[in-house]
Amino acid sequence: MQEIFKNIKGDKAIWAVVALLALFSFLPVYSASTNLVYVVGSGTTFGYLLKHGFLLLLGLGIIYAIHQIPYNYFKGLSIIAMPITILLLVYTLAQGTTIGGANASRWIQVPFVGISFQPSTLASIVLLTHVARYLSKMKNQTIRFKDSILPLWIPVFVFLVLILPANFSTTAILFFMVLVLCFLGGYPWKYLMAVVGAGVVVLSMFVLTAKAFPGLFPNRVDTWINRVENFADGKDTGEDYQIERAKIAIATGGVVGVGAGKSIMKNFLPQSSSDFIYAIIVEEYGLVGGFVIIAIYLLLLFRIIIVAHKANSTFGKLLVIAVGLPIVFQAFINMAVAVELLPVTGQTLPLISSGGTSIWMTCLAIGIILSVSSKRQEELELEEQDIDNQNPLDILSEQL
Amino acid sequence: MPITDKSILSRLYFVAGCMFLLALAIGVKLVGIQFIDGDKYRALSQKRTIKNFTIEPKRGNLYSDDGSLLATSVTKYDIRFDALTPSRAVFEDHIKPLSDSLSTVLGRPSSYYQNLMKEARIEKNRYLLIARDLGYTKYMQIKGFPMFNLGPYKGGFIVEQETQREYPLGGIAHRSVGYERENGPSVGLEGAFGQFLRGEEGHRLKQKIAQGQWKPITDYNEIEPKDGYDVVSTINVNIQDIAHHALLTQLEKYKAMHGTVVVMEVKTGEIKAISNLGRTSGGKYFERLNYAVGESHEPGSTFKLFSMIAALEDHAVDTSDVIDTGKGVISFYGKKVRDSKWGGYGELSVSDILVRSSNVGIVKIIDDFYGDQPEKFVNRLYNMGLNDKLGLAIKGEGVPYIPHPNDKERWSGIALQWMAYGYGVSMTPLQTLAFYNAVANDGELLKPRLIKEVRDWDKVIHKFDKEVLNPSICSSETLKKVQAMLENVVKSDYGTGHGLYSENFSMAGKTGTAQKNYADKSKLKYISSFAGYFPADEPKYSCIVVIHEPDKGVGYYGADVSGPVFKAIAQKIYINSPLIDTIDELNKEDSDLLEDYKSYYAKVKQNNSIIPNVKGMSGMDAVSILENLGLRVKIQGSNGGTVESQSLESGAKVESDKTIVLKLT
Repeated sequence: MQEIFKNIKGDKAIWAVVALLALFSFLPVYSASTNLVYVVGSGTTFGYLLKHGFLLLLGLGIIYAIHQIPYNYFKGLSIIAMPITILLLVYTLAQGTTIGGANASRWIQVPFVGISFQPSTLASIVLLTHVARYLSKMKNQTIRFKDSILPLWIPVFVFLVLILPANFSTTAILFFMVLVLCFLGGYPWKYLMAVVGAGVVVLSMFVLTAKAFPGLFPNRVDTWINRVENFADGKDTGEDYQIERAKIAIATGGVVGVGAGKSIMKNFLPQSSSDFIYAIIVEEYGLVGGFVIIAIYLLLLFRIIIVAHKANSTFGKLLVIAVGLPIVFQAFINMAVAVELLPVTGQTLPLISSGGTSIWMTCLAIGIILSVSSKRQEELELEEQDIDNQNPLDILSEQL
Repeated sequence: MPITDKSILSRLYFVAGCMFLLALAIGVKLVGIQFIDGDKYRALSQKRTIKNFTIEPKRGNLYSDDGSLLATSVTKYDIRFDALTPSRAVFEDHIKPLSDSLSTVLGRPSSYYQNLMKEARIEKNRYLLIARDLGYTKYMQIKGFPMFNLGPYKGGFIVEQETQREYPLGGIAHRSVGYERENGPSVGLEGAFGQFLRGEEGHRLKQKIAQGQWKPITDYNEIEPKDGYDVVSTINVNIQDIAHHALLTQLEKYKAMHGTVVVMEVKTGEIKAISNLGRTSGGKYFERLNYAVGESHEPGSTFKLFSMIAALEDHAVDTSDVIDTGKGVISFYGKKVRDSKWGGYGELSVSDILVRSSNVGIVKIIDDFYGDQPEKFVNRLYNMGLNDKLGLAIKGEGVPYIPHPNDKERWSGIALQWMAYGYGVSMTPLQTLAFYNAVANDGELLKPRLIKEVRDWDKVIHKFDKEVLNPSICSSETLKKVQAMLENVVKSDYGTGHGLYSENFSMAGKTGTAQKNYADKSKLKYISSFAGYFPADEPKYSCIVVIHEPDKGVGYYGADVSGPVFKAIAQKIYINSPLIDTIDELNKEDSDLLEDYKSYYAKVKQNNSIIPNVKGMSGMDAVSILENLGLRVKIQGSNGGTVESQSLESGAKVESDKTIVLKLT
């Protein structure tokens, strides 16, 4: 035990934020689990609490394990992980799970454990790490578009196209994050605009094909259009009952909320323990609770900037940004959906929402950030001056 | 384009700034939802999730005057079975014992229930009916059966309860006890006193916690339901029973269309029994419509009493005046009034006109005096209140009709004459009874009442006293005269109701045999009635019996058809009322008796091994003494006499099983 604590390194504030969010998450998850138990009719409330605790514990384990890895290794790891992730994405898509006729193949069932896993979340981290690596490698060169197509845009395109049919919002966010990262990494503006243009063209083609040949492949194009239309028309119709109920929940909460576990709307909001958990938090803990959560994520953003600032290599900086920004961004998207700033998406609230993939992948990202902030890379480099290390991953990462 | 770490960071600050703005926008929107649209969404929340549930109150009981239940609310249970809920193991293990248990309680064979439930499981029936309308005891019993005792979530046991109204008397007074319906007509006592019995609904706010699931918001009900009050009616179960069966007997005997009988307590106006029986297509009789209250018809001869009262009040005649009824026929404008006796009664005293129910007589009296002033007669009747409704609590009271000479359309040249003996007017049986009751009650006209008091458990909420509609319908002289006449209808040898006469108890009343559909002779039917009261001298109950359309082949006179019902009721009430006889000389000593007893006692106390001398003793005493000694006694001669001789002499030793022969005088 003592050993474990001794090995906890890195930004203490991030550790604190993670611990705080993880502890707090028990409250809304436990409260909202009644929805699953009494409305959907599966499991027990205590079972969900236990499961959530288990997922978090495993998540903390992931953070602990990852943050001990010197961050340069992630270069090599991302190269290794890319083909695996692509295979997983293809496999997921090929399953063809549908919800009401629409493609919803986002999950794969992990054999033996009985836990489902959403490869697109892992793909985000892998892809962004890859982009960060590429940018850091090219930092001293003038990038020509032609040269960047194969190492940068082809992987991005493959990833996005594999995620798109089942999950538009994740694709869009990932694409946006790639662009932001490229912007931060000094990728030329004019090329970025061209890529955005190409992205729009690809998306339009996808939508048009799906519309023209509805039976051709399962997709969720109709769902997206509905959601966007419902958001755009600004009226409370029966279609956007989810958002109406979320707003009812927020309005009921008032300044200090109705109190832990006393939410009413949790039973009427589908996905109240994941996608709409922020509305439930505001209902139970009021404006105060809502603002505290926003503040905690802002604090996390602040610490990520600090870590990026302190990192002494370009890859370190870009890596922290690549995996850190999406966490905060996703959190704000989730909240923005609940308050109807954005149309309904399936984004979870990182570290609070229940759901294994979301928790683990956030933890993976946090682990990477902490790895950068723990300065293990520097320690490693110091060691390497003494000993001739023949770690193959080390060699691979150095070459990239 | 080379990039420095510094430019990365400055661009990062820009991106972070954008994110901060997004966070700010979320915060602003959050406040906006709460404070600008807050009321709208909170109202929506109320609408979507809170509902006011009604809690039905328990309906009060309806009691008879002595506290027997006429109507009460009972909870009934339906048992159903969710055949999918039990696990395979549970189902297989328990199906046999459960079916066996059900078989013992519900009566069908065990195999029946086994098949039923197995089929239901195959068909995935989650709502299989096992039994309906069970009482509480059976419900509890079944709840404890194997598998069902595992409850709804493991055993698939479903119970549904509902409140039903039960009528312990069954068909008796069914119509008068009545029922109340939310939509549609409410009848009888249940309908009339619904306002007391009903109670008030309670309310409880509940919050929706899921589709079809509601949880109460507070520990208490927002408005507690108020159970209905109990209503004690004036109906007496015994009298009701007597009236019902007496009427039924006569209806069956005369194959009549329908009939009604009402018994009223003279001094209070309380209706003790009200029975209405109508024939169904199958020839059986059931309580169908409330004829007593609702059916207004031409009363016929029972109306003569009112004509007579009017005539006596106006001093048109006196009881001893003699009217010549001639040959029993009198005609007005070509229409004939006939007496029922062929050839007529000749000269009759005014009193005898009512006693014999002479149509010609009463018409002559009225025509002679009121012929040129018919309004005086009609107004007299109006003043008595004969043309007014009684204002009963029960719905559907028929409207009485007595035409007035000013009503040119309905009045005719013969209206007065026909009205005198009960035609061209219309009254309900209950209205007629109310006036006969007034005659019995020394002129005080009371409103017939069906309700005694309203109670909340043992607390009396509302007590109903007698309601006087008219303190005096006529002078007491007139009253005495008509009372005597009514008594003579039964008592006098020639009275139309003499067939009912009994020396054991007195009755007074008036027969009525009204023609129905007389316009067409081929369809002529009769309405036989009898209205009166008993005992004649100190009236306690008044009663009217009306039977419509008796089979003419069997009989149709009021005295024959309806009279027996009246008599049966009077007789039974008499028998059931204890007679009070005072015995003054209970303790007076009879010297002869005392002497007998002493000698008997002395003999019994004698040495029991020696045969005593029983000569001169009464035979019964002697047998008793000798048998007690162990002897066999044989008796010769009459049983009641005294002992003349005994075969074994006194003083001899007693040997058991020896026979002694006694000769009695």
